[in-house]
Amino acid sequence: MLLTQELELFPGCTVTLLLFKDVKNAAELRKKAMEGAIDGALINASMIVDPFQMLVAANKAVHLYKLAKMKTRSLYSEIIFNLSPTNNISDAFRKFGISDGDSSLLIVLVDDGEKKSKLEDIISQVKGQQISVQDISAKADVAKIKKVYKVTPAEENVGDLLDAIICRMSAKDIL
Amino acid sequence: MATDTLQQDDLGTLANLRVKDFLQHFQMIKQGAESKIYRGHFLGKPTVVKERFPKSYRHSALDKKLTHRRTAQEVRSILRCRKAGIATPVVYFVDYNASCIYLEDLVGAITVRDYVASVQKSKQDTEQLFPLAEKIGLILARMHDEDVVHGDLTTSNMMISQPEKLFRLVLIDFGLSFISALPEDKGVDLYVLEKAFLSSHPNTESVFQVILTSYSNASKKSAPVIKKLDEVKQRGRKRSMVG
Repeated sequence: MLLTQELELFPGCTVTLLLFKDVKNAAELRKKAMEGAIDGALINASMIVDPFQMLVAANKAVHLYKLAKMKTRSLYSEIIFNLSPTNNISDAFRKFGISDGDSSLLIVLVDDGEKKSKLEDIISQVKGQQISVQDISAKADVAKIKKVYKVTPAEENVGDLLDAIICRMSAKDIL
Repeated sequence: MATDTLQQDDLGTLANLRVKDFLQHFQMIKQGAESKIYRGHFLGKPTVVKERFPKSYRHSALDKKLTHRRTAQEVRSILRCRKAGIATPVVYFVDYNASCIYLEDLVGAITVRDYVASVQKSKQDTEQLFPLAEKIGLILARMHDEDVVHGDLTTSNMMISQPEKLFRLVLIDFGLSFISALPEDKGVDLYVLEKAFLSSHPNTESVFQVILTSYSNASKKSAPVIKKLDEVKQRGRKRSMVG
């Protein structure tokens, strides 16, 4: 159902992904997240093609967090920022963070052994149905994703969409 | 402010130690003058880590800057090639602190070098290699048209990631690459390949010719590059002597 992965570079640190569909209270959740009341990153699931995309974003966020070199103010906002192919923070939140009308929601939790994220607590706040994270690609809006990440037709011949996304995520610092 | 930089240094050192621990679980498969290559798993995927280690003979501030620049250059070239439709390993993560690049491990791929060697060993006609050579020429033309100069074109830096039939060619090791529009730089790039090709694979002059012909046909900017290649060959050394 949910997906948990240990970040090998940061022993003891695990990332948990939760996926929800038919979410009715996106606006309320977004407000809570902005206030810092939710201990997780709330992501627009239609922008995600594969759990690996989230793991790469989370790994980079924790890496920068541990170096005190994050571009945003919190670990969770950094994860959202890392999903974006650009270095514009507000744009990243708008495109990848949850918006008021969204019905598909992906929640990312990072546990670094210091404090345990309360899974049940977070799940109970979502007015929607939890589904398996493995189904994430079914919720993806491929056309929109290609547009946001500016995937070229030439690129589609040399790799799949996930490859193009990951490269942009990991290489954007040098742009 | 001084305490800030001190704290940053400590965090950086801690991070480096973490990387060292992490790479213990990886297998070092190559050590070059520039870097060490490791193989293992990262976030559930087979991964190659390229680590540029510090050079103690350099002044540390300069070393940090140079290494950072080289790492960034490599990543930039890979991204640029990908966008132009040239297959490269996917970059999973770049650690600028430890100067490590985490790349997709092309499991099951073989180098063009090994492939050519196997074809030659099985005493097959070198004409067998012509389709591959055409593909190589095409890819290099595309790369140069993007103004990416690979810098280390050898048959060991080209991989075939799917069974020979489809020739999905993947370029690797952009460590010496740079962006340049100059025909000289591109000509030298091809010259390096020619030397490497002919020295690793005897009696393959015809194959290399196919590469060049394919390159010329595929790139509109190829004429000055081929001209420079001929010039460089006559001079016998790699650099153009300007001025």
